Amino acid sequence: MKLIKKYIPLAIVFTFGVLTLASYYVPHKVSVDYTELVSQWENIVYAFAFLLGLISLFYSHYNKIARKADGWGYSIFVFVGFLAMVIPAYISGGKQGSETGITLLGWSFRYIYNALSSTMFAVLAFYIVSTAYRSFRIKSKQAFVLFVAAFILILGKVPLGQIIWDSVLGWTKCGVSDVIEWIMSVPAVAGKRGIMIGISIGAIVTSFKIIFGIEKQYLGKD
Amino acid sequence: MIKNQFGFVLFSVLFAAINVSAAKPSQAVKKQTPAGAIPPIENLTFADMPYDVGGTALLKWDVRPTDNPDVMYQIYVSSLETGGWIKADEFPADTRTGKDIELPFWAWNASVKEHVVKVELPNYFGEARTTGPVFNFKVVTIKDKKSFDSGIVSGKTASNWFRLDRLNNLLLLVTIITVFFWAVSHAKRKGLFIRRIAGLDAIDEALGRATEMGKPVYYVPGIGGMSGISTIASTFILGEVSKKVAQYDTQIKVPHYDPIVMTVCKEVVKQSFLEAGRPDSYRDDINQFISQDQFSYAASVDGMISREKPAAIFFMGYFMAESLLLAEVGATSGAIQIAGTDQESQLPFFFTACDYTLIGEELYAAGAYLSKEPMLMSALKVQDFGKLVVMVSVFFGIILVAVGARLHWDPFVQVILNLFGAY
Repeated sequence: MKLIKKYIPLAIVFTFGVLTLASYYVPHKVSVDYTELVSQWENIVYAFAFLLGLISLFYSHYNKIARKADGWGYSIFVFVGFLAMVIPAYISGGKQGSETGITLLGWSFRYIYNALSSTMFAVLAFYIVSTAYRSFRIKSKQAFVLFVAAFILILGKVPLGQIIWDSVLGWTKCGVSDVIEWIMSVPAVAGKRGIMIGISIGAIVTSFKIIFGIEKQYLGKD
Repeated sequence: MIKNQFGFVLFSVLFAAINVSAAKPSQAVKKQTPAGAIPPIENLTFADMPYDVGGTALLKWDVRPTDNPDVMYQIYVSSLETGGWIKADEFPADTRTGKDIELPFWAWNASVKEHVVKVELPNYFGEARTTGPVFNFKVVTIKDKKSFDSGIVSGKTASNWFRLDRLNNLLLLVTIITVFFWAVSHAKRKGLFIRRIAGLDAIDEALGRATEMGKPVYYVPGIGGMSGISTIASTFILGEVSKKVAQYDTQIKVPHYDPIVMTVCKEVVKQSFLEAGRPDSYRDDINQFISQDQFSYAASVDGMISREKPAAIFFMGYFMAESLLLAEVGATSGAIQIAGTDQESQLPFFFTACDYTLIGEELYAAGAYLSKEPMLMSALKVQDFGKLVVMVSVFFGIILVAVGARLHWDPFVQVILNLFGAY
């Protein structure tokens, strides 16, 4: 049993990990074909996994409705939303547009799905304001640096801010756009690259841990 | 009589000699190209582009004194034995030398004395037909609307087996693997000192709070797929968090964006509950698929957070625009929030909305840090070694390139840049 649940999966991970790593150094067509084949397998596995996800979603919300759990009314909308997209998709043969105009699926997509997605995205604008307010509460030296950088950026992006800058600091011969450009291209890029280097090294080491079987928690129980 | 004959012979010889000496310049005049004309290319050669999948040809010929911006070269390619020429490229004659091919010094002779032109055959003949058949090439020199054809060269391209240009990358990989195994074996013998990570130390505090308040813990693994390293790292952290959750006998909920991630996380959580000695507390609905649409997922998780008011929320994995939508709602609900992502564009949002944020590689270190397992913790040393290599390389690289540029040692600077270049 341990062979099936532990050693064979580890061998598969090792083999595919090493082959995928090697494909970076082997440009041959065999290597390219291998990468495409693995990608196709991934899509097939994904399709089956999506079915599992859908069953999990329906099961969970069905239970909530059946047990009349708190907020069970919202669970009804899961099924309503699902049917509101699937039935038009079935009727329209999966096409959003036709020669005569948009299909029923196109209508559902444009006036239900897109409208809801846009609403959700628009909420982000309000959250950014409240987050900005929170970040402007200076609690430490680092927060002060963040505040100063953000304040200059905000000042430089609005015409009124530019007028204020020119009238107060115009004598320095240093425009607010120059300061913004310096902040964005020097300290911001330096910090970003530092993080990126750390992330890349961490990703490499994590990959090794998985390929060489040091980390095997994802296999579940023995 | 004899004297007369000698005089005749001498005259004849002298006449012949004069004729011979005069004939040489006259022949040279015959071969000389007319004024304004360009002699055709004579030493055109074909080569397969090295270190590629095939389908790319290289044409080479010597740089000539007549090469200047007024002269143009046109490259023609044909897949047939005769005719059917397709114009593949056109460029001024003073451009495109071996130096323009972006390969490092150990894999390519970057000579400025010869023209080198890449011809991507799939652009003209399709992907499938470019490796195997013989192709014909010619170069036409154009000056003042007059054209001069070169001879025809033929050849076929082939798939190569090794990217010699990535040798520097391979050597670095071998070094890191060596250090990795050294660190793993070293970890078995004695423990390693690992610096404290505040965000991870706060996990106990967050879970303790959830237990005291009798409220659930939310673990959000983001919108990445299982092929993403940050999502894989997130599943490791989930394992440790759910183990503690099981020990404290509190509730955890893991809403998912990706069904494959959900399947893996189910196994991880089940294993953690088992290891904590609480398999009876495990329920299948701990991991729940929500939606595969970014904003539908965010809306649904926001709704769950608003209704249930969890005591602690973890955002670990790959996040994009929904990061702020989730973190801000969590902050409003009063939960302790610990976030970690490798998306540097989302880090500012987590910084401002969450109590603790794991930056970059701390996300990858978190699983090992929490498990305290020597084998996993040893990998953190490899991360430190990698950072040391980068710091030393950057420091000496800056000095060497600056000194080389200052002293105009162009080949030296090129060598340094090649050594650290990605190909």
